[in-house]
Amino acid sequence: MTPAASEPHAYADLDLLRQTWSSKRGLFGWLSSINHQEIGRRYIVTAFFFLLLGGIEALLMRLQLAKPENTFLAASRYNQIFTLHGTTMMFLFAVPVMEGMGIYLVPLMVGTRNVAFPRLNAFGYWMYLAGGLFLYSCAFFNMIPDAGWFAYAPLSGPQFSPGKGVDVWAQMITFTEVSALCVAVELVVTILKMRAPGMSLNRMPMFCWSMLVQSFMIIFAMPAVMIASTVFLLNDRTLGTHFVNPAEGGDPLLYQHVFWFFGHPEVYIIFLPALGMVSSIIETHTRRQVFGYPALVLSLVGNGFIAFGLWVHHMFATGLPQIGEAYFTAASMMIAITSGVQIFCWLATLWSGRLKVTAAVHFVFGFIFIFVMGGMTGVMLASIPLDLQAHDTFFVVAHFHYVLIGGALFPLFGGFHYWFPKFTGRMMDERLGKLSFWILFVGFNSTFFPMHWLGMLGMTRRVYTYIPGLGWDHANLAATVGAFVILLGGIIFIANVLRSRGSGARAGSDPWEASTLEWETESPPAPYNFPNLPVVTSRTPLWTAQAERPLVVGVREDRREILITAVLDAEPHHRSVQPRPSLWPMLTALGFSIGLAGSIFAFSWYYVASVLGLIGLIGWFWPERPLEVDQ
Amino acid sequence: MSKRRTLDVSGLPPYDISSQSPLFWGQVLMCLIEGSLLCMLIATYFYLRLSVDVWPGPGVHLPGLTLSSWALLPLVVSCVGSYLASEAAKKNSRSGMLLGLGLNLGLAIVFLVLRGIVWNSLNFTWASDAHGSIVWTILFLHSYDIVADMLMTAVLIVIIASGRYGPRQRIGVHVDSVLWYFLVGIWIPLYGVLFWAPRIIGGGR
Repeated sequence: MTPAASEPHAYADLDLLRQTWSSKRGLFGWLSSINHQEIGRRYIVTAFFFLLLGGIEALLMRLQLAKPENTFLAASRYNQIFTLHGTTMMFLFAVPVMEGMGIYLVPLMVGTRNVAFPRLNAFGYWMYLAGGLFLYSCAFFNMIPDAGWFAYAPLSGPQFSPGKGVDVWAQMITFTEVSALCVAVELVVTILKMRAPGMSLNRMPMFCWSMLVQSFMIIFAMPAVMIASTVFLLNDRTLGTHFVNPAEGGDPLLYQHVFWFFGHPEVYIIFLPALGMVSSIIETHTRRQVFGYPALVLSLVGNGFIAFGLWVHHMFATGLPQIGEAYFTAASMMIAITSGVQIFCWLATLWSGRLKVTAAVHFVFGFIFIFVMGGMTGVMLASIPLDLQAHDTFFVVAHFHYVLIGGALFPLFGGFHYWFPKFTGRMMDERLGKLSFWILFVGFNSTFFPMHWLGMLGMTRRVYTYIPGLGWDHANLAATVGAFVILLGGIIFIANVLRSRGSGARAGSDPWEASTLEWETESPPAPYNFPNLPVVTSRTPLWTAQAERPLVVGVREDRREILITAVLDAEPHHRSVQPRPSLWPMLTALGFSIGLAGSIFAFSWYYVASVLGLIGLIGWFWPERPLEVDQ
Repeated sequence: MSKRRTLDVSGLPPYDISSQSPLFWGQVLMCLIEGSLLCMLIATYFYLRLSVDVWPGPGVHLPGLTLSSWALLPLVVSCVGSYLASEAAKKNSRSGMLLGLGLNLGLAIVFLVLRGIVWNSLNFTWASDAHGSIVWTILFLHSYDIVADMLMTAVLIVIIASGRYGPRQRIGVHVDSVLWYFLVGIWIPLYGVLFWAPRIIGGGR
């Protein structure tokens, strides 16, 4: 076990390391922090706050639909709430929370001291926070988007959506996408260039593989949504371009194509990290290397590629040529192969290992059950005749909640139980954890399973009410009751987090006897992560005898020095010095935010964003004395 | 405490100005992002073109070919400046960096002026029709990137000229060149799409 900071350490000066890597104190220190643990925690906490908001919106919708001809919400308010719900959950919760987990865990897992670009990391967080605040503060001025989370033109166009709500939506996307792109870039470089010596690509933890594939997907997918939301939609609305205006040669379907070229990969961007979490949890709790590592990695990469060839299955009802649609059916079904391979690898691991059934493992089982169900309805919806019947019904709503909540939220909760000791130094309560699992599991299924039926019976999504006598009443009531059961499960989960944070059992560095590097260092880790950077000699370093694992020495401790290694085999190449904490990333984000927020009123505000952003960037990159490395 | 084997890396260089530097990788990924954005705009161009009978619409002149083609010359030659600056950064030659960056910036300004003249001669705007929207968007976004990189180059010139720089700023010079190669490289297909495609394959469906 690694000694705590106060103990003498044979190979490192811990006081000096702490002094070098700590953030500054006070408010200034908080605003200027570039430590990956702090930024990662901020992402996670902020994302959970938005999860609560999105959850409240879901409950409001379920209350409205609990009985026929309900008058709890007016039609227009209902439109706003389902738009906010989808937007919040996709852009302000699901992607950022996964990014937060990656930012916190990846540097620890690959055995380095911080992410590759710490200031970019801080900038990304401030952009994300600004985007979320932008969306919700506009709500106070009644600028609430109401055209759904994908805002199809022409409904979202200037003719049918007057007011500023859709503009707010379109520009909020820019904030969150800039943030996601920053994280993607820094995680790819962290993973490819900063792994511990010896951690060749085939020794990398599955979670890092999943973040790597996810980051590349972000790099190729997110530019598309920025084109759809700002270049097409916002410029058509505020500047007078004609991208989606058929009267002047534009085409609303173009918007759908470009949006879903992002939108489908987006789903995988959300759930690939979750798959990595599942692999980590299963490996640790079965006490064996995960079965079929190469197959799992190839499936992840395969998922990443196939995800970009599926987008048209969201558009089967738009009257595209059938030959093209048939291709997308085949591609959509193909994703079942890569997903199936992963499920079977996990089952084989579970079967052949010595399983310890903790709360985290409960969530993994919940994931397998729910996600497989969602996958099945996904294969059904890939078939054009069925899709044409079920399109825009509650069957689709049921399907994607099974995939997203089952595929991302359950593993995330499992991962949260699993890594909570690392985040806080304390264990979460196992009994409360299992209780919250069962309540969430029952609540989830009673909310969303009836929606399959509702869809089959013809209930379309996004209707604010329905008449009695259609046979929809009981299923809707069941779904509403289920939603409140989910709320109860969520409250228990949060109570468990708050209680364990203060008074949970002390965790020590490695409470699960896990295999990956993040468990080698103390919990929570010191700002420098590791007293000495580790060297890796196997895929499961912590299950390898300590005597066989050398420590890195010779990295300077009086400045923020890290080790850069080769992409494939992680041989040490050179040392590199990281920048010090700075206010500039926050100020740059502020400058961009002012301009972007203004741009919903006039295009010229982009110039404001550019000038303020440029000033911020110059400050950010201006050489500081003393220079980190002398000539 | 038991004695651990160690791997001493103190002999490795404390920085590296090459394709091994993290900043180089970050810059390449930024180029990938910008590249996928611009590729999506190329796809948009041809998608919009497919949905009309005449492209561009009646009365709309195609963007002029002569000056836009001549403008490629200073643009491509400006890469020599980037290359010189980047090599000088590796050798830590202050005058070399200033020469390279200056050459790059000067030729970039010439290119930008020529582009401005071509742009000014268009007889349509972004608001004319979908053709105008996509042509203006491609021109605007690429010009925006070009101007951003030129400003960055100008800031680097100030920093290098002041003498208050270290290896990090030299790596900055190196990756600034990488971005410039990308912006020049991506303009070739964009130029082909905007200026040659409508002439070679005709307009519309």
